Amino acid sequence: MQQAYIDGLRAIRPEIALVATSLVVLVADLVTKGRDSRRMGWLTLAGLAATAWMLVGQSNSPREVVLGMVAIDRFGGFFKLFTVLSLAVVTLFLLNDRRERKHGIGEYYFLLLGAAIGIFFMVSTNHLLLMVLGLELLSLASYALAGFHKSERKSAEASMKYVIFGGLSTGIMIYGMSLLYGLTGTLDLARMATGSELASQISANPLPVGLALSLILAGFAYKISAAPFHFWTPDVYQGSPTPVTTFLAVGSKAAGFGALVRFLGALFLNDEVQGAVREYGGRIGLLLALVAAVTMTLGNLAAMGQSSLKRMLAYSSIAHAGYVLVGLACMSEAGFQYALFYLAAYYFMNLGAFGFLLYFEGVTGTDSIDSLKGLGFRAPLISIVMVAILVSLTGLPPTVGFYGKYLLFVEGWNSDLGWLVLIMALNSVVSLFYYFRVAKALFLAAESRRQVPKHPVLVGMVAALGLATVLFGMYTAPIEDWAKGSMDLLQIWTGQG
Amino acid sequence: MNVPTSHLLIVAAGLFTIGAIGFLIRRNAIVMLLCVELMLNAANLAFVAGSRAHFGAPNAPPGADGVVFSLFVIVVAAIEAAVGLAIVIAMYRLRRTVETESLQELAG
Repeated sequence: MQQAYIDGLRAIRPEIALVATSLVVLVADLVTKGRDSRRMGWLTLAGLAATAWMLVGQSNSPREVVLGMVAIDRFGGFFKLFTVLSLAVVTLFLLNDRRERKHGIGEYYFLLLGAAIGIFFMVSTNHLLLMVLGLELLSLASYALAGFHKSERKSAEASMKYVIFGGLSTGIMIYGMSLLYGLTGTLDLARMATGSELASQISANPLPVGLALSLILAGFAYKISAAPFHFWTPDVYQGSPTPVTTFLAVGSKAAGFGALVRFLGALFLNDEVQGAVREYGGRIGLLLALVAAVTMTLGNLAAMGQSSLKRMLAYSSIAHAGYVLVGLACMSEAGFQYALFYLAAYYFMNLGAFGFLLYFEGVTGTDSIDSLKGLGFRAPLISIVMVAILVSLTGLPPTVGFYGKYLLFVEGWNSDLGWLVLIMALNSVVSLFYYFRVAKALFLAAESRRQVPKHPVLVGMVAALGLATVLFGMYTAPIEDWAKGSMDLLQIWTGQG
Repeated sequence: MNVPTSHLLIVAAGLFTIGAIGFLIRRNAIVMLLCVELMLNAANLAFVAGSRAHFGAPNAPPGADGVVFSLFVIVVAAIEAAVGLAIVIAMYRLRRTVETESLQELAG
């Protein structure tokens, strides 16, 4: 028993490293009385680098389950590494945001790291309790981050909307879990899926089972901003400080997808799941297909009329959530794998797009698309990279966004979801209009007279992310293999604890 | 006295419904947070009821998972209230009201 405990601690060393980093940052900031918050940023980056190193070292070790709760597998590793990447990018954004200097406090990094700890646990557990706790840790840190500029009315409003609707979604989700627990008698998803209880309850009590699963999925829908629980997204994203918006739109949303994939995969797609439960998964897939169609359509139509780039990106992130849901709606191993690929693409594209937004907010002081007019000639490199990212967001070749969408198209078609594929294609056309508006403002207007300060770090980061979107669009094999390898969550295991 | 599980679940469903309706029709941020607490407590009741019903069942693990979950939910609810009220206070300092209808800075 004691040896198992020590082995378990060794297996969760990346999480321990993150916790240690967050505490060191918090205490160091207290000791230095917040005078030098930049050093806290570098400390955070060092901690993230150590965590990433441990994660890479773990990636080939056999799968194990720590104390029946935390599953250390390649699927979790996929999301953890991308979380670390997005967090590192956000930290660098914070260090280079000229509007952020006056707010620069160490708690910023502490809260970000706390959110990351939540993500780490929620994507690597089959146990509903730990999933909820991870989700809550992420949410609570996000509420505080959204309202970080508490003297600004927009920021305060964003965090208030976030906390009230977030609370609602938590309530709904936990109530759904309580019903599911009452029906099956276990909180472990793998045990639930393979036991006889769920299968017999599906035929005996279809209504309560459907209600419980719908309520839980509603909680996830809030986290990934899928319709009809997306309404908070534009307001919160627009009101939050831009680096925080980046984290919410990229890190937090992708983590929500990670937990959702784990939930659906463990419950319905496991190797050992038999007849009734697997059939029921097909019905859940149909529900997800409907949600996906509504989500992407709403997101794209609303994004058309936006004058603020930040708000437009918020709606675009809703639309992208719809695209990823297409992969989940297929309810097949390939569908999940392609959803993961698209999420990887989503990380690169959106981190780059928000970096661009941050750069021009520093230049013009606003986030309106009109203020970008003619700036493409003043800051050519970052603007050209942004155009490449916009091409990828639209889903045109030769970018990673195109290949991701192509995979989803194919798998959707193979899973008899032709109508959904059609809606997705139409949506991509619609999205071309509003993404093109940004490119048009940048390059198809008279050259602006505004002075553009040099900002090598930010420009370099956006350029690297843009390069990644194009490069992985042409050499898709690394991410594709990685997503394929991450499907080990579908092999059965039950907790040993 | 042995209360049947179905009664407990009906009370839980009632609590949840009251919370949900209250959340939808009230516009005061503090009352809305209170309604969320009500919903969480409905979940707690359902968890404890489920735990009692399943206790000792062959398939269930020996620990009473549901009871443990409800303890954690109590903690989560407390933290959520703390964070939520802090944010509401920050809002009140800026606008002197906690009515959500006044939140119109961000729209469109």
